[in-house]
Amino acid sequence: MGKTIYLDYQASKPVDSRVVEAMLPYFTEKFANASSLHTDGDIATDALEESRQKIAEFINSQNPREIIFTSGATESNNLAIIGYALRNRRKGNHIIISEIEHISIHNIAKYLQKNGFEVSKVPVDFYGTVHPDKVQEKIRDDTILISIQYANNEIGTIQPVAEIGEIARERGIVYHCDAVAAEGIIPIDVVRDKIDLLTLSSNDIYGPRGLGVLYVRTGVMLTPIIIGGGQERGLRSGTEDIASIVGMAKAAEIVQETMEIERKRLTELRDYLIKNILEKIPKSYLNGHPKNRLPHNAHFRFDYIEGESLLLSLKDEGISIATGSACTSKTLEPSHTLISIGLLHEEAHGSLVVTMGRYTTREDIDKLIKVLPKIVEKLRKLSPLAD
Amino acid sequence: MKSTKYSKKVLEHFRNPRNVGTLEGDDVAIGRVGNPVCGDLMEIYIKVKDDVIEDIKFKTFGCGSAIATSSMITELAKGKTLDEALKITRQDVADELEGLPPIKMHCSNLAADALHDAIKNYREGRKLEPVVDVPAKPCAIPESREIIGLEKFLGKGVYFTYGNLEEFRDKRVLVIENGEPSIELAIKLTEVTGRVIFMTPLKRILASSELKTKLKMSDVKVLVEGELIEVLGDNTVEKVKVHDLNEDTEYELFVDAVIIP
Repeated sequence: MGKTIYLDYQASKPVDSRVVEAMLPYFTEKFANASSLHTDGDIATDALEESRQKIAEFINSQNPREIIFTSGATESNNLAIIGYALRNRRKGNHIIISEIEHISIHNIAKYLQKNGFEVSKVPVDFYGTVHPDKVQEKIRDDTILISIQYANNEIGTIQPVAEIGEIARERGIVYHCDAVAAEGIIPIDVVRDKIDLLTLSSNDIYGPRGLGVLYVRTGVMLTPIIIGGGQERGLRSGTEDIASIVGMAKAAEIVQETMEIERKRLTELRDYLIKNILEKIPKSYLNGHPKNRLPHNAHFRFDYIEGESLLLSLKDEGISIATGSACTSKTLEPSHTLISIGLLHEEAHGSLVVTMGRYTTREDIDKLIKVLPKIVEKLRKLSPLAD
Repeated sequence: MKSTKYSKKVLEHFRNPRNVGTLEGDDVAIGRVGNPVCGDLMEIYIKVKDDVIEDIKFKTFGCGSAIATSSMITELAKGKTLDEALKITRQDVADELEGLPPIKMHCSNLAADALHDAIKNYREGRKLEPVVDVPAKPCAIPESREIIGLEKFLGKGVYFTYGNLEEFRDKRVLVIENGEPSIELAIKLTEVTGRVIFMTPLKRILASSELKTKLKMSDVKVLVEGELIEVLGDNTVEKVKVHDLNEDTEYELFVDAVIIP
């Protein structure tokens, strides 16, 4: 098989070659443990702290001590929510999340519920937007934490983060924001948006996998969920992976330089794709907000057909793409995100998620626009639901 | 194993499905299994002569393995006597396709069931109408039970009457079926919002063909065999619980307003 057209950047991104290059010395000659006190150890410590500084700048954190390295976004979410809830239980027992959070947040909330916490979920509208007044409605006297994403990883809707941060700060509630879907394409500013805890992933900015960050605002107290030698201010024990950390810092640097141009380029590409698909394919719809969405995300649904069939047919055309259909999930349940915006199960089954990135070209999108209408038509001919 | 890791044979049948289509005539019977809500709906048409399946066609909404198993069963059953065809099992279909991913063995391997259903219907002389374009005929309306939460949310998302359509602007509205005026209301609501769901407990819409066409052309999403059982939320309506009468399961649907005209 030849080269594929990759349109699944939300699932995984290639590591930028400049990042790989920056990482390489830290596997061989600069291999030491950052906790060691000898000269080799100092080299590792310097690299670690320089990287921490760069990541802090990336999200406008005022103090690099606020950056905690973890094994990935899932661990960051666990540390933020479980770590905060356990440490601050005496303040209250109630946590707020939205219906449209990433599956890891939903499952962490479920875990806390089993352990005696109460969880409220804020509903979203048909575009997947969390309305600040709905957040306000869910706040109680014993609410200690609000966790609402920066943007949705599936349908791409961007949330009113600054307004939610404002509400939380005013009420003395800690605000955690999972920024994985937005990082690298939307400029993040934890000070402006009044965010107390923020989750980042390295791979989502073209850095290596297996590394994440939790931003912990000075003064916010957490209980560690991984106990050991006390690295990362005791919040995340375990020898730091210096190579990956250097890689993520480099990735952040590159992304910062190119973000403006990339955002403009991908927004144009996205709107071109959406316009063409909706025009060329009858009974096709866009999921998520038409304007206020991630520049690299286009999420469609097509009546009468099932997403996995679409995915397989596109695979035959050499296009790698994702669907929210249950048939491709581990649980055989349709995506909770699509259900939470109000879609029926059969509508959720017929979805297609296009996520573009740094190496996506106009030619790639033209190919998709060319083959997709034919595939949809072919599958509809097979379907007893279509006329 | 990945749920989409298919054998070459499955992919081959998916790409070039055999015997796609429908059949008509007095000697034709239809078998139907699955439910689009679960992501699979399969129809098998058999034409029988002297107890032998002379021709067979299928229509399927579903994932790759659902389409491949449908295609395979038409090949396996063609030319067989009804008794022989009844002996074809799900396992036979999977074996002929050089295996299916374990997670797909149950959910998308319904073709044998659809074939058996068609044979049963043929022997019992039952005429099953195809899903598409069926003439409206009355079917039993299920016993209604009390809907939980209606009073709590009255005026806060639940409406028995409606004055101003503007109240529903850009909201996700669920209209519960109550004759032709309720269909007209659903269509009218699309002027103020992009999301209107019209739900009926019946298997299909009962209305004049003119109104049915109008409904079909509109942006109203029609949900058949659904029964409202509960309205949920804190202060205002956030979602409803729906009873799927076909599958006898319950699921949640996120809406902002429910109109019960």
